[in-house]
Amino acid sequence: MPQYMQIIRTIVQILILYVFYYMGVFVIEVTHLPLPPSIVGLLILVVCLQLKWIKVEYIQDGAGFLIGFMTLFFIPPMLGIIDYPELLSVKGSILIGAVIISTLFTILITGILSQKIGKKEMAMKEENVRGEDTLESNHLHH
Amino acid sequence: MKATIFIISTVVIFYLMSLLHKKYSYPYLLPILTSTIILIPLLLILDIPYAEYMEGGQYIQHLLGPAVVSLAYPLYNQRHLIGKYKYTILSGILIAMISGLISVFLISLLFKLEDSYILTALPKSLTTPVAMQVSETINGIPPLTAVLVMIAGFVGALLGPFMYKLGKITSPISRGISMGSASHGVGISKLKDYGEEDLSIGSLSMGLSAVVGAVICPVFVWIFF
Repeated sequence: MPQYMQIIRTIVQILILYVFYYMGVFVIEVTHLPLPPSIVGLLILVVCLQLKWIKVEYIQDGAGFLIGFMTLFFIPPMLGIIDYPELLSVKGSILIGAVIISTLFTILITGILSQKIGKKEMAMKEENVRGEDTLESNHLHH
Repeated sequence: MKATIFIISTVVIFYLMSLLHKKYSYPYLLPILTSTIILIPLLLILDIPYAEYMEGGQYIQHLLGPAVVSLAYPLYNQRHLIGKYKYTILSGILIAMISGLISVFLISLLFKLEDSYILTALPKSLTTPVAMQVSETINGIPPLTAVLVMIAGFVGALLGPFMYKLGKITSPISRGISMGSASHGVGISKLKDYGEEDLSIGSLSMGLSAVVGAVICPVFVWIFF
């Protein structure tokens, strides 16, 4: 495929993704749900992909492009920090401390609990498989 | 005219910083971090108010909406990973979201921080673009949220392995879930050292947390504020 075709293709796919974004905006405007419109657009797209209403090929180049440059898009909002110098105050440091402790706590508790749940799930799966085996062999004996 | 200059200089600085990160892939050389560190003093020295910068910056920021929608693509591609450990992954993400919200909320209450600060900190475990949009939805301060998200990422990448030792967390699934749902992209970059399975479960968990967190955060705010 010539390169200019690839560029047009990517642009068209980005426009398709914009359509999903504006569907999200529309849903939020109508329902007043406290959700980011982009997340609603994401969910609509996942459902459409899952139901095969839209082919992955229709969005993959555009999505790949946008994801590749994603960090560029949040540089402007992040620069808004210059209007909030209070991050360098005592309260700002407490906030940062709270985030650090909370993150470490979350990793620890989630890691420990999910390891326990994971072992249970595996054990249950194995039991099920064994159960089906015995059922099948019983069936054969009759 | 000025708007165009702001757009071009942001893109050029970001591009150069991406090249730098490609050459030396240290987490503290992430383009978002280095570009911001260059642009902030530049704006301050040249005495450009943020509102003026945003006359150009808004056009870049506008792409954030469809970019977040694009996250549906990797999420859809990774759906087969959920299969075998369905309950573990989904319950793990719920545990991470709830423990993350409650712990940061309680610490903030303990130190009597204002509501606007607490709301700003709540989405900290989500991936930056989603966290900023959630922050906006729940009336936090999005740029401040972005900084806290970065901090949560670095804490995970630097101190996460220590938590794994402390909690005797040895399975790749639980390492992936806990890092992906607490420290998003920056944290999971550390999982490369552990292996492919850690990394893929990590990025799946990051995507799912973004969606689950975007729903749970506003509900949490609705209940407690």
